[in-house]
Amino acid sequence: MVTDLPSNAEPKMRARDVSVFYGDKKAVDSVSIDIQTEYVTAFIGPSGCGKSTFLRAFNRMNDTIGSARVEGCIELDGEDIYKSGMDVVQLRARVGMVFQKPNPFPKSIYENVAYGPRIHGFAEGKADLDAVVERSLRRAGLWDEVKDRLTDSGTALSGGQQQRLCIARAIAVEPEVILMDEPASALDPIATAKIEELIDELRGRYAIIIVTHSMQQAARVSQRTAFFHLGHLVEYGETSQIFTMPREERTKDYITGRYG
Amino acid sequence: MSEHVNLTRTAAFEKRLKRRYAAERIFRRAGLAAILFSIAVLLFLLVTMTANGIGGFKRVTLSVPIDFTEVGLALPQGMEGQGMAIRSLESQGLEEVVSFYAGQAMGEDAAAQLSADAWRVAADHIVEDPSILRRRVELDLPASEDLSAAYAGDGQAALQPLARRLAEQGFLSDSFDPGFLSRSDATDSQAVGIWGALKGSILTMLVTLALAFPIGVLAALYLEEYAPRNRWTDLIEVSINNLAAVPSIIFGLLGLAVFLGAFPYLRSAPIIGGMTLALMTMPVIVISGRNAIKAVPPSIRDGALAIGASPVQVVFHHVLPLALPGILTGTIIGMARALGETAPLLMIGMRAFVATPPDGFTAPATVLPVQIFLWSDEIDRGFVERTSAAIIVLLLFLLVMNGLAIYLRNRFEKTW
Repeated sequence: MVTDLPSNAEPKMRARDVSVFYGDKKAVDSVSIDIQTEYVTAFIGPSGCGKSTFLRAFNRMNDTIGSARVEGCIELDGEDIYKSGMDVVQLRARVGMVFQKPNPFPKSIYENVAYGPRIHGFAEGKADLDAVVERSLRRAGLWDEVKDRLTDSGTALSGGQQQRLCIARAIAVEPEVILMDEPASALDPIATAKIEELIDELRGRYAIIIVTHSMQQAARVSQRTAFFHLGHLVEYGETSQIFTMPREERTKDYITGRYG
Repeated sequence: MSEHVNLTRTAAFEKRLKRRYAAERIFRRAGLAAILFSIAVLLFLLVTMTANGIGGFKRVTLSVPIDFTEVGLALPQGMEGQGMAIRSLESQGLEEVVSFYAGQAMGEDAAAQLSADAWRVAADHIVEDPSILRRRVELDLPASEDLSAAYAGDGQAALQPLARRLAEQGFLSDSFDPGFLSRSDATDSQAVGIWGALKGSILTMLVTLALAFPIGVLAALYLEEYAPRNRWTDLIEVSINNLAAVPSIIFGLLGLAVFLGAFPYLRSAPIIGGMTLALMTMPVIVISGRNAIKAVPPSIRDGALAIGASPVQVVFHHVLPLALPGILTGTIIGMARALGETAPLLMIGMRAFVATPPDGFTAPATVLPVQIFLWSDEIDRGFVERTSAAIIVLLLFLLVMNGLAIYLRNRFEKTW
């Protein structure tokens, strides 16, 4: 099912008939979807519906799983990211990712943020790097909390701070797309609220795809919502429409808490 | 209405609970007993070793007054090297001079009990400080093995009165022998030293570390991070695990056949010994390295990959630093095993009598455990203490190595 929504811009990323297999098991079944830069897109659905697997196809993180195989095509600015000769390192610099469990490097806060710009050679000299680190931490809403202890270990922060540090780390390399895999599911409500605020602030600058279990979260942060079930994309549309008048019976059952 | 029975408040439950606590107490006491037993054994070992070995660091010496002003010995001018100077002193009759003054001061029977090497010790003193040639000095020169034994209260009965007399007169005494740490093997137990074997061990360990560590770590990294999982890598894994369990003497035979076959002139050389021990140590490093690398959380790899680090950057910036403490621990276990290894080195000729410390990786050498093995085979009573002293040196060396490893591990230890 191809779902085209009216938009005034070319999609940033475009998936066409994407299927993902783990060995013989089909986890995602020919999904097509367009991702726009100006929106936050939420993937919702019950556990095991393939939404995280599908998300990891957008920056080829499934490559790290030996048995995973992707069919179909995903385009970034019209370029197929699965074509042979595609530079995966460059792709991942353009399509950043934030994981479910905060995973800061066991290095200082500064080093966590500076690592990306440094390996890609984005910063010329110490002053430049300092500026990148400060800008990234400010955008991630963490600067005021950590500016006096940049040399402390990133793992010493609280869970919510760690996750915002991971977001700062991701935006430090100036990606075009940010993939978020249940970024708040390991956090308490206050930390979750901060992450959601942050996502809202980042909207428009980056194309953001967020996978979430929480329908309230999808409703709060996203403008577009895609509902997945058993590897299929059931319905994709404006978030307000999905939550108020879903077209599909299964979507309605899910968002009204009938199953999931 | 049926009565609700609370299962956790019955007598049977309380009895079971008591049994569970009893089982836990027994387990704790058994563990404590095991620890105490280990500590007792270790203490016994250390105490007996120290008690026996402390004598090995001492040497029985005769104090000989020599008036060099009467003799007119001269150190040759402009001669380079200690060997030349000592040879010159020998030709000028230093040996007779020493023997003459010893006879004059203590009697001919005592002079005869100077060690055969006594004049060499005198020569070393002269080379170190030529000004004593213009003075009257008292030199502490080593006594013969027989007199040393008599001083300790055993050996030939005939010499014991002499030893008693000399001790009473203050000529004969034992003192800490710093030379034991700077000399090499000798036929005379009073003239032996451990430096040759210690240096041999250090050189051998350096070769082992230089070969086994990088190869082992790279192999572990490749197998964990890059190698595909298939029948070939399974086969390699099984082979490496088997290699770690192969008896060390087999590695000695391998070294003999392969390394000495290729370099027949390097018999007894630390480089060949080190290569042989590296074969033995490498599988240990590979196995512990793989475990350490496996223990690095995948989320760290994912995090680095997701901001565009290349696989090599992921390995060298994240995986290796986090796995390093574990790799170092494995390395030190392997190195400690290699340091104590005797059998394979016997096969490649490192049991030779080597009276000079090796001056390089290709010079003939022996190592500490082999030296201990050789000395424990000597008939002479004086070697018993020397053997214990050598064991203490070996254990101290081991302690230093382990201490270094623990220091490094703590330095690189990171939490996540």
